[in-house]
Amino acid sequence: MIDLTDVTYSYSGNIALKNINLHINKGEAVSLLGANGSGKSTFLKLINGIISPDSGIYKFNNEEITHSKLQDTKFAKLFHQKVGFVFQNSDTQLFCADVYDEIAFGPKQMGMSENEVDKRVNDCLTLLNIVDFKHRQPYHLSGGEKRKVAIACVLALNPEVLVLDEPMNGLDPRTQRWLVEFLIRLNKAGKTLISSTHDLELVQEISQRAVLFGEDHSIAADLPTDKLLTEIDLLKKVNLVDEYYHRITYKQS
Amino acid sequence: MPEWLLKDENYIPQSDKDAFITKSIMTLLGVLSRIRAQSVYKEKKFKVSAALKVAFTFVLILLISISKSIAFTIIINVYLLAVLSMMNGEEIIKILKVSIVTSAFTFVILLPAAFWGNLFSSIFITSKVFATVTAVNMLSHSTRWNSITSALKRFYVPDIFILVMDITIKYIFMLGEFSLNMFYALKLRSVGKNKSKYTSLSGIAGTMFIKSNEMAEDMYSAMECRGFTGEYQVINKKYKMTFPDFVYIIMNIALILIFIYMERV
Repeated sequence: MIDLTDVTYSYSGNIALKNINLHINKGEAVSLLGANGSGKSTFLKLINGIISPDSGIYKFNNEEITHSKLQDTKFAKLFHQKVGFVFQNSDTQLFCADVYDEIAFGPKQMGMSENEVDKRVNDCLTLLNIVDFKHRQPYHLSGGEKRKVAIACVLALNPEVLVLDEPMNGLDPRTQRWLVEFLIRLNKAGKTLISSTHDLELVQEISQRAVLFGEDHSIAADLPTDKLLTEIDLLKKVNLVDEYYHRITYKQS
Repeated sequence: MPEWLLKDENYIPQSDKDAFITKSIMTLLGVLSRIRAQSVYKEKKFKVSAALKVAFTFVLILLISISKSIAFTIIINVYLLAVLSMMNGEEIIKILKVSIVTSAFTFVILLPAAFWGNLFSSIFITSKVFATVTAVNMLSHSTRWNSITSALKRFYVPDIFILVMDITIKYIFMLGEFSLNMFYALKLRSVGKNKSKYTSLSGIAGTMFIKSNEMAEDMYSAMECRGFTGEYQVINKKYKMTFPDFVYIIMNIALILIFIYMERV
């Protein structure tokens, strides 16, 4: 489904992604791990077509995604419908007058009838347990509620792939638990999930596979999640964990 | 799970005119990369003190504006171009682009005067504009923002003025990044024909306003917690004059002497 071959990207001469080779199958749940500044967010932007590789090939459903193809609005719109992106800061994603309009924004553009849009919005509200906020302004919601609305407005487009940038950031433990279970349900329903995270305790639950980014902006490991979490030396080498984590894990085991 | 979410969407998008999103993204990226470039600015080999640069740029602009001699303006332009040629290619292009555009704009405005027989004044004013814009741009491209603010402190510019300038540049960057992400989100969610484009734009503007208000309130509280009483301390490190500083002073004094000589003739 997603295929990257020797992909490299840099911001004004500073390398952000180096020789990335990765294949993600339909229905997989993949977590991206790595220290701050290792290139996870840039990778997610590339997957979503916000940026295009400097060199290398990015293919989605066997079709190469290039800067020139994304200039074609029809192609870009279809691509953006298939790959949904939940931003790290939910505030940036919400710009409509109320939650209902926010979720209806995408379906309305897809040319659906009023009834279809209404059904889809209500389904999303129920699914994310936010029916009570239907007519509230998004900027008056709490962090966890905003995250739920942001996910709902992406889900309303029914994307094949759901990309989440640090989905657990800033959420209280109860909302985190709810989100973990929700992502598991989505994955079981056939959605491909790609999420970047620092939360090593939850990563095992939301993904079967983990891709570890090194400080040199290349992929340091691509392993089953439970196996990667036992590679303490490797996690230490990429500066994701320290001695303290090692001691705690050792004690627990 | 609703049934529609379990199936793949069979959707063919309609084309829509939404180039304004891409254009807004490109403009924001340009502004942000300019500010970012300032922050990673590398000190040059022949570094002149920021305080000297600020002072002499101010004097130079003053001399250019009060000068009645075209010969002096030409000398200043030659001097500025000679100094400019020592900067790197990318900077030269950026500075000249702004200078040429503003001078051309000035000349166009002055064209009626030229047609009425005042060609000399038109050329004179245009050359003054070129020199002024080039001098200011050279200062901004060769000096870090925080060096300029600490130089202003040396000249007893009020603390609150420096504080406002520092905060402005910081928040242009932060709110710029925020609005860039909002435009990315709008672009990613614009998967079809948007009949109310301006509503989305006003939504972005409204969210930006709320966000900036929140940030301002947070900053005010944070400053109060840190004991802010209205006095802003800019740390001025002791600076030792270097050889390039002396060369710079001598050249500028020479320009002042040329000005006095030209105005007397």
